[in-house]
Amino acid sequence: MRTIAGWVFGLGLLGVLTIGLQGRTLAQGAAEGRELFVTYGCWQCHGYEGQGSVAGPRIAPTLLPYAAFEVLVRRPANLMPAYAPSALPDDVLQEIFAFVQSIEEPPALEDIPALQ
Amino acid sequence: MTKTTQETTPEQNTDETRLDRRSFIAGVSATGVALGSAATTAGAQQTAQTEHMAAAPPSEAQRVADVGTPDEYSADEHEKYFVDNPGSDYMIDVLRSLNIDYVATNPGSSFRGLHESLVNYGGNSKPELLTCTHEEQAVAMGHGYYKVAGKPLAVACHGTVGIQHASMAVYNAWCDRVPVVLIAGNHLDATQRRLGVEWAHSATDCVRPIRDYIKWDDTPVSLPHFGESMVRAYKLSMTPPAGPVAVVCDGHLQEEAAEHGPMAMPRMSPTQPPRGDANAVEEAARWLAEAESPVIVVDRMAHNQEGVDLLVELAETLQAPVVDRRGRMNFPNTHYLYQGRGELSRADVILGLELNDVFGVVNSVRDIAHKDTRRTVRPDARVITIGVNDLYMKSNYQNFQRYFDADLSIAGDAQATLASLTEAVRNAMPRNRRSTLADREERLRAQHARRRQEVLDTARYGWNASPVSTARIAMETWNAVKDKDWALVSQQFFTWQFDLWDMDRHYHHIGGSGGAGVGYGGPAAVGAALAHRDHGRIAVNFQNDGDLMYVPGILWTAAHHRIPLLSVMHNNRAYHQEVMHLQRMSARRRRGLDGAAARIGNVLDDPPIDFAALGKSLGIWTAGPIEDPKDLAPALREGVAMVEQGVPVLIDVVAQPR
Repeated sequence: MRTIAGWVFGLGLLGVLTIGLQGRTLAQGAAEGRELFVTYGCWQCHGYEGQGSVAGPRIAPTLLPYAAFEVLVRRPANLMPAYAPSALPDDVLQEIFAFVQSIEEPPALEDIPALQ
Repeated sequence: MTKTTQETTPEQNTDETRLDRRSFIAGVSATGVALGSAATTAGAQQTAQTEHMAAAPPSEAQRVADVGTPDEYSADEHEKYFVDNPGSDYMIDVLRSLNIDYVATNPGSSFRGLHESLVNYGGNSKPELLTCTHEEQAVAMGHGYYKVAGKPLAVACHGTVGIQHASMAVYNAWCDRVPVVLIAGNHLDATQRRLGVEWAHSATDCVRPIRDYIKWDDTPVSLPHFGESMVRAYKLSMTPPAGPVAVVCDGHLQEEAAEHGPMAMPRMSPTQPPRGDANAVEEAARWLAEAESPVIVVDRMAHNQEGVDLLVELAETLQAPVVDRRGRMNFPNTHYLYQGRGELSRADVILGLELNDVFGVVNSVRDIAHKDTRRTVRPDARVITIGVNDLYMKSNYQNFQRYFDADLSIAGDAQATLASLTEAVRNAMPRNRRSTLADREERLRAQHARRRQEVLDTARYGWNASPVSTARIAMETWNAVKDKDWALVSQQFFTWQFDLWDMDRHYHHIGGSGGAGVGYGGPAAVGAALAHRDHGRIAVNFQNDGDLMYVPGILWTAAHHRIPLLSVMHNNRAYHQEVMHLQRMSARRRRGLDGAAARIGNVLDDPPIDFAALGKSLGIWTAGPIEDPKDLAPALREGVAMVEQGVPVLIDVVAQPR
């Protein structure tokens, strides 16, 4: 559930990530992140839009802080494989996270006739 | 596979058979003369023999009565050239007595006699021959057909090669407890075999490759034996636990004349399914009635609508949530007691009905480097099982899953046991339970509505994505068929339809393959659609791309036999399950994640397969490939209109992986 604290935390994290992405803009980071999201196979279970599937939960849009995201990737609790830094470096994970954060809300339910 | 058209052996292809046109025509003239001479000679011999026996020569009427041919052939010639009353005519009569409507087959010479009888003696009607392009396809068609029609069709397999082609689909049917009657052509008598290929297609025990996963088989050596064995096979295949059976159909029995006089036709006497022991059922009822949170888990239970109705009655009597594992359509998803697996965590008594994997209901085994097993239900939860699994008798193939020590195991067909169980629950229900039941109902009604809304909300994520999301595929399809009499005839790797389509009839879905052998989906869908055709229903198949590539010829069969079916491709251009497996291995070994490792050997996108073009070439109506989700709804509307005209349709949708 969205909360004001969550928004503030998320915005702060975006700032941190912007610095972490070595001066590139968030948009650039997100674009490269999308490519890495595909290269590193995140889409396989979570879908190209992070929408989730029977094989993996929805991960976007998200207000999850990077630290929590990193834990889920490095030391997952359930079925997800653990992605070690040696195989999925921190800077790559950060760019993937930037992409995940850039994914926008889908249309509202009432705006989708097929779901009425 | 080598077939009849290739069965001329090198030995047969001699100079004598290589005649040019001139010598052929001359040969025909000479043969005509020779035939005349032979007839004369034979007649003379017969006369001599008759005289030797000092008996009067047969009159013309006697001769006709003896040989049945009012033509110029002598009895010897008749015996040499012709067969009246062939054995395979009787075999067709046996199939008819079993009310078998179809024989699915890829043609083969080991059952050419049966084939001819089916067409000429039987008139290709009840049973009608279904032309298949592969035996795997034929059996899988039978698999899907049974789940709608409630009765098996027959599959004729061509000797050794046909059985081996059929084997994968037979295994699926075995795992899924589905009857299919296989008729295996063979030539037992080595001295009567044609030279060459017929030897390669014959075996002393041609059913052996599949014997580990069929219920029963026999090799009849006479026509009465064939009749009895076929009826026995049918009877056994239909008796729970149901499963495929095979009867070897010897070529000589088919082709030689049957004995004169009427042959006995064994009567099919259906076996009543086994019911759970009455005392054990009463004990189970007591546990359930006194439970605080009983939960019902069901898998391959409902044989028909009666099974669904009986389960609703039990669930309502208990106000117990039902977790449907979807091996069959067991319980209406529109009912408030249709609930998710999460209900199991609060259960104090779990009733499992026809569960294939009891252990997996109660535990989880994670696919991580260290495979840990965790009990996922309360430690004090008691587990009751009712089903026919303990009546199985095979050991090699391990589809019976991990052993679980249920607290009360009742052997019996669950559907056949439900009525007595519900009655026993009513009798055992404590009088002070009324308010508890009302509380349960209120909670579960709210939870059911909430869950449905949550799934709807989840479906909007990725709604406008390309590749097209599976939620959009499912829901656009639902909108195209929801006002028709529809039926889902496929398994699939997404589950939106089980929560968001209104499924309340047994025929609304048919469960999965059983053995997860790829190549089941397309043929099973067409087989099920064949059974739905008689009811005028729109059969819907979410078709996986990898699956269709195993047996694409099924599209031709659908076109050839005018079987209407709406196939919507879930075309993720990969064997995606394997993509994820390779990704898991790479992650576990901490290597190869930054490239294409998971794609190698697993993807089908270079070149991308044009399923619309493929389908068109095989004679069905197609659309796509659709990559923009906005194009999907119009294509579906058009496709449904074509299906309503009796046409098989395929709409290729480039889709998200899951």
